[in-house]
Amino acid sequence: MSTSPDTVGQRRGDSAAAPSGAARTGSGGGALTGPPTRRRRPRGPRLARLQRTFDRRLLPPLLLAPALLIIFGLVGYPVLRTFWLSFHDAGLAAMVSGEMAFVGIDNYVTIVTDAHYRRVFLVTAVFGLACVIGTMVLGVGVALLLNRPFRGRILLGVLVLLPWAMPRVAAATIWQWMFHDQYGVVNWLLTTLGMTQFEGFAWFISPLRAFVAIGVVVVWQSFPFVALSILAALQSIPTDVVEAARLDGATATQRLRHITLPMIKPVLVVMVIISTIWNFKVFDQVFIMTEGGPARSTEVLSIATWREAFTRLDFGLASALAIAMFLILTLVTVVYVRAIRDDEELR
Amino acid sequence: MTATSSATPATRQPVNLRRSRARRRAGRFGTYLVAVLIGLFSVFPLFWMLLTSVKPRTEIVTRDPVFWPSSFAWDRYGDVLARGFTTYLANSLFIAVTVTLIGVLVAALAGYALARFDLPLKRYLLLVVLATQMFPVVVLLIPFFAVMRRLDLLDSYTGLIVTYMSFSIPLAIWILRGFFRGIPDELEDAALVDGCTRFGAMWRIVLPLAGPGIAACAIYVFIAAWNEFLFALTFTSSDAMRTLPVALQAFIGRDATDHGAIMAASTLFTLPVVVFFLFVHRRLTEGMANGAIKG
Repeated sequence: MSTSPDTVGQRRGDSAAAPSGAARTGSGGGALTGPPTRRRRPRGPRLARLQRTFDRRLLPPLLLAPALLIIFGLVGYPVLRTFWLSFHDAGLAAMVSGEMAFVGIDNYVTIVTDAHYRRVFLVTAVFGLACVIGTMVLGVGVALLLNRPFRGRILLGVLVLLPWAMPRVAAATIWQWMFHDQYGVVNWLLTTLGMTQFEGFAWFISPLRAFVAIGVVVVWQSFPFVALSILAALQSIPTDVVEAARLDGATATQRLRHITLPMIKPVLVVMVIISTIWNFKVFDQVFIMTEGGPARSTEVLSIATWREAFTRLDFGLASALAIAMFLILTLVTVVYVRAIRDDEELR
Repeated sequence: MTATSSATPATRQPVNLRRSRARRRAGRFGTYLVAVLIGLFSVFPLFWMLLTSVKPRTEIVTRDPVFWPSSFAWDRYGDVLARGFTTYLANSLFIAVTVTLIGVLVAALAGYALARFDLPLKRYLLLVVLATQMFPVVVLLIPFFAVMRRLDLLDSYTGLIVTYMSFSIPLAIWILRGFFRGIPDELEDAALVDGCTRFGAMWRIVLPLAGPGIAACAIYVFIAAWNEFLFALTFTSSDAMRTLPVALQAFIGRDATDHGAIMAASTLFTLPVVVFFLFVHRRLTEGMANGAIKG
């Protein structure tokens, strides 16, 4: 959080960055004055060539292998299996007998024609979008605030991290109690502030109200990550650029629009996409606060999928829902890939 | 937010002389006001949880909230611990630590390879790795369940550990790759000239220098595993295998009226992470800073 001015703007690349980098890691300058390894006997030319070939050809795949094995070895089959199941009748009876009939796109037809599932998609999209906007506005706002010099800045930096550290189940639980209609501190606060319509206000009886409450919890937990990342981006902007603009008479709003925002755009885009994905996947908070109720009205896509699979045991339909969600998120992924294509980092 | 950011920032040397002292003071007041509000918003739920857990029963369910209890009821913590929470705590701790140790090592090796070598299709590999992070968890829950049942890994540590790793490694690779790219090549080149192998150079020079990045990454992986609820709920059935999030959820359902006990359990669940966070937050913010920019 406390970036000294001399480290800004020389984060990587040239060796001039090395001293400050090493100082920051706390490992001192020992590694720079000489390699910490003992000097070895020179190898024979053939052995050296073998070594070089190994380093260039074999080492990279060997280093990658464990990770790729764990990622694709485990995620690969479930993805294909989900896809396969989504075209089959995989209800409880079929699962038990092991004979799943191919039903073509029946499952997909069901989720498209069923009024409830149409509602689920709509609700997921609107709720997810609202959470993304909330997260980004609060996250960027807090980052801009933390980027200003004021006393207690570091303390605030620690405080805003705490929601992230809180396990989601615990967070949803305490917020549920704070939103209690009779004894909740939220209603008390709003009423005390003069909004008397909140006296005994029941947050979980209508879908809109319940979504507002859940949304507050989701945003509360997701803004720290965004704030921290944006703050990091802000601190990488060389101060003299902003200073020069100020001398040229640019107002604070102009500086924000024409200098700050464009310079943090790459991180901003990544954060928008990541929070979109996270907020579309929201499960825990909804599951704990409403379990999709009242009357399935707060069922977002992840809850609906879970319910189809593990309560109604219709794995075929659940898989179709899952694939639908994957397709939606793939669209987002494409946008993401496009957005970072200009970023030369990804060579 | 826009209102505050357009207010006069407190600069070291006042450049714009048109701005009066009064306006600057007003701007500073605005900054502090917003800072206090945000701080309260962030920390109040944690404070409220802690407070509720030690309030006497009569002061929990009140129309006007009690902000400081007349006496402290610490005994709930003993009760909660006596109800099997030590087992759940141990389960969660064991799983999270194992996932962190293996996951970070594996991600560090891959992250290094992706940061330093020119590989064919590297760009696509990076994107596919990231794309796995974009899968909705529920997508994979169903077939994962089937795989784990077939491998007889349901209701076992191994099943959960392996599952969590497959989800946390992709982002860990991206975070660590960013850090490795931040370390100048020259340091490794020097070691190579001195007869170090490439692997030796990575192990002895790059990994130690990337300490903060690895710490940040470890925290991310640890919290993800500590927090995980859906897979733990679906994959475990016996009481002895439960992790904290699942146990807490069941606890909430069973004792819906005993808010004090629920908050005590939640506090026990949160406290280890918060303490850990406060302890390492400097390293974390450093790590986030570097990872976010270069990742």
